[in-house]
Amino acid sequence: MPRRVVITACSAITPIGYGKDAIIDSLRTGRSGVRPLKDDGLLTTHIHSRVFGTVDYPIDYGFARRHTKTMGPVAFYACKVAKDVLEQSGLDKDFITSGRLGVAFGSTHGSPTVQRNIYKTFFGNLAEEFSSIGAVDYLRSMVHTTAVNITRMFGITGRVIASSTACTTSSQAIGFGYEMIKYGMQDAMLCGGADEYDTTTVAVFDNLLACSVDYNDSPSRTPRPFDRDRDGLVVGEGGGAVLLEEYEAACRRGAPILAEIIGFSCNNNGGDLILPNLEGITATLRMALEDAAISPDEVDLISAHATATKMGDVIEAQAIDAIFGDRPMIMGLKSYMGHCMGTCGVIELTMLLYMMEEGFVAPTLNLDNVDPRCNMLHHVRELTETRIRTAALENFAFGGVNTCLLLNNGRYLA
Amino acid sequence: MNRDQLQKNILSILENDFEFEHPNLDDNLRDEHGFDSIDAIELLGKIELMLGFSLSRAEKEAAMSIRTINDILDYIEKIQATRVS
Repeated sequence: MPRRVVITACSAITPIGYGKDAIIDSLRTGRSGVRPLKDDGLLTTHIHSRVFGTVDYPIDYGFARRHTKTMGPVAFYACKVAKDVLEQSGLDKDFITSGRLGVAFGSTHGSPTVQRNIYKTFFGNLAEEFSSIGAVDYLRSMVHTTAVNITRMFGITGRVIASSTACTTSSQAIGFGYEMIKYGMQDAMLCGGADEYDTTTVAVFDNLLACSVDYNDSPSRTPRPFDRDRDGLVVGEGGGAVLLEEYEAACRRGAPILAEIIGFSCNNNGGDLILPNLEGITATLRMALEDAAISPDEVDLISAHATATKMGDVIEAQAIDAIFGDRPMIMGLKSYMGHCMGTCGVIELTMLLYMMEEGFVAPTLNLDNVDPRCNMLHHVRELTETRIRTAALENFAFGGVNTCLLLNNGRYLA
Repeated sequence: MNRDQLQKNILSILENDFEFEHPNLDDNLRDEHGFDSIDAIELLGKIELMLGFSLSRAEKEAAMSIRTINDILDYIEKIQATRVS
């Protein structure tokens, strides 16, 4: 018998703030976290896009060296938000280390900062006669560095899933965590993702003509999801975590239930690794509804992937229209902070949870003139005070991976 | 480098780079300071920089039996003697 799965804690470090109050304030006031691209002394001058969704405030980590020695910048984000949700949860040490709590956490490609330093040693011939590459550089940079630094810091001994599927990294982590609990493999899962400041990713998307370049002098005006004048995505950074628990156990211990995950889907387009695919995305949305056993009419709000690429937004709008029509409200949260890559799913989910709890919907920023090809949807263009019962979170990735999560507001659970 | 200079340098490295608090020369590195195999490899890199020459693989493997700060100093003195002779 499948078990119900609820979210009992969340935290996010984002370009528009860290923690619930700061994030809500930015969402309510329409504050963008997109800033000029910082000079990295390597790639910046070769990149046309000069904007980045930046975490530009100090964070007090307070981690001891015994933990930080295996952590690159990406793991700092990951461990900080993981620490937040474990503290919020009030779960005791016995449970955390029992093997019944697992971790599903990922990043796009570990720590590019550490990898870059390794390359500098090789190509710059730095101190070549000594051990210039640190003993722990692999542990700091490897693709599952976030997940296992979390297990190490908190003594977690359950399953480890280190998803790494670019923009669906953290939405997959949450979905796979949900399935772990739903089917009885684990009783709780700490899920999420992180990605650090990295110009390599900007260079990749820039090279594919997918990055925004027209607003380099006015960063807060981009990205522009669904807008007629959008010109591409803006890469961002950050980290986010959610704690998933089996519903009955969460109720027994009196945990605050932020939302119930009622459905998850994940599929692949089965072909092109870059181009958005209407058939694949439409199937993802349909499969999520089937998993949740609800009708499209029951969904109040959709957090669209909406990267602001020219074709991606149109294909997503067509898929939403095909499944949901114009009933649900549509918002594109990347308009506030750019595309935080592997962590976008969990950051957007955290913002959704805050909006569900507080009873408002943040408008898509920079949506001044809706692209006629996306105009069949119910776009949220003004701050809207409303009750959200059921919401969907859509994320799609290079490689043709698509995910959709469906949530019920914890305030109205039956 | 004589033993006093070595001791001063090693203690400085352990306190500044490895966050040792109040190290004593015969403390068990692992039990009393949480010093593990990863730290050992990192320390060897710093010892190489301090000595100005690189250690062979055999020399590095020999370091894995080190348990105390005095062991570290003995180890370095032995290597220095080998290089001088």
